[in-house]
Amino acid sequence: MQVHQFHPTVSFGDATSNQILSLQRLLRNAGYRSVIFCEHPPLHFQGRTQLIARYGRYASPESVLLLHFSRGYSASVLDWLEQLSARRVLVYHNITPHTYFAGVNETVLEATRTGREQLDRLRTLTEAGWGDSAFNCQELAERGWTHLETLPIIFDPRRYAVSPDRKTMERWRDGINVLFVGRVSPNKRLEDLILTFHYLKRFVWPDARLLLVGSAYGMEPYLEFLQALVKRLNLPDVTFTGHVSTAQLAACYRCASTYLSMSEHEGFGVPLLESMHFGVPIIAYKAAAVPETLGGSGILVKDKDYAAVAELIALLAEDTYLRAQVTALQRKRLQVFMPNRVAGHLRELIRGLECE
Amino acid sequence: MSDNWLEIGDENVSVDEIKRQIRERIAGRGIVSSPGIVGDPAAIAAELWKEMIGDPADVTASDRGVPLRQQDCDIVPRHYVIDWRTPVLGPIHATVRRIINAEICRYLLPSLEKQSHFNREVLRLLEDLARENARLQRRIEALRGIQE
Repeated sequence: MQVHQFHPTVSFGDATSNQILSLQRLLRNAGYRSVIFCEHPPLHFQGRTQLIARYGRYASPESVLLLHFSRGYSASVLDWLEQLSARRVLVYHNITPHTYFAGVNETVLEATRTGREQLDRLRTLTEAGWGDSAFNCQELAERGWTHLETLPIIFDPRRYAVSPDRKTMERWRDGINVLFVGRVSPNKRLEDLILTFHYLKRFVWPDARLLLVGSAYGMEPYLEFLQALVKRLNLPDVTFTGHVSTAQLAACYRCASTYLSMSEHEGFGVPLLESMHFGVPIIAYKAAAVPETLGGSGILVKDKDYAAVAELIALLAEDTYLRAQVTALQRKRLQVFMPNRVAGHLRELIRGLECE
Repeated sequence: MSDNWLEIGDENVSVDEIKRQIRERIAGRGIVSSPGIVGDPAAIAAELWKEMIGDPADVTASDRGVPLRQQDCDIVPRHYVIDWRTPVLGPIHATVRRIINAEICRYLLPSLEKQSHFNREVLRLLEDLARENARLQRRIEALRGIQE
């Protein structure tokens, strides 16, 4: 049996691409032939990815194509899929509701809206749906999917086995640092982080810092809004780092006192796993797949009461017992996403497909 | 703030005790308003959002944007497959066509890639202009409202 994968493109650093590459490794280790097909194979991944037109050489009734879906496919890809003789399984990473992008990025708004609409067509083209989380599976179920399975994101600690960036460490090593990692995107509600930080800085710790790590590419109007808010609130020590290297990311986690997420829509939330790995206690707003990813670890808040959340950050930094308890449970939770654990689950899912 | 606003999965940690401590800490600070800032920070954020991004519920404003998609800009034929169905002659025919196709692609594709890149940049600029136009329209409407 062959298990191949498709995604419009593959890039460094994003969660879907990392999952595709990790799955390929696990599949090959399990003895399956596995190739990644892209509509736009990136230059830096040449040799590791192939153009979809070449899939014809691999297609057979025994081969399965995993269709990773995190944004809309082009019309030509959908037409191509309809003509394929291979078995197809949708791997759903979730799509941010398009309404978040109104006034921020019309292209992304259109792509996310189209993507969600395409789910109905993909239901007829695939025999099963796999979601990163039960939250993602639930959406597929609501759209009429019947064969659903959860395949969590694989967390490979080797990816973070780098020396933390020295300059970043020197800059932020001392003091209280509140960290958020993720694309600068309206669904992540970075303004809520800034408002929480405003209380923390004014009334609790005047020396605290807020580190917002992640690219703002395509979300420039939203970034401008956030920067204007910081300026209007006269709030120093808020840093938008933009895209960072793995070494810089590791340094940010090493310097962080707390990981704070106010995100309202997450299909999974890889930075939560990264925080678990680096021993950073998590405070997160209870929304979408966040509580499921945390699985009882971390601290969840149901209300966006900025004063209460800021005081919670302070309490977590001061109370060493609470901090130790939270990080210990997080470390335990992280084991569920380790490659060996997911590999076993993946083998079961593939076996299930083989039996059908 | 609701009563059950906080969730900690660890049985060894008393959530009620933490909530009590947080209530006490907030009360102890005796905050009336933020020093140096006029108005509520959350209200400032909401006002700024409306000014810079627009009404979040107004998705229809985005519908008035450029009626093109990024994927329409790409004119490179990426899905062209040469295949055969008839035995013996089919593979020969396909091989010849593949060679001709590869030769044409060699000089044509760089130009098509350049044109696709140009198309994408133009679309991005058009979207920026549409967004700026929408923002200015909103500003004009707001100013008209103030005047009236």
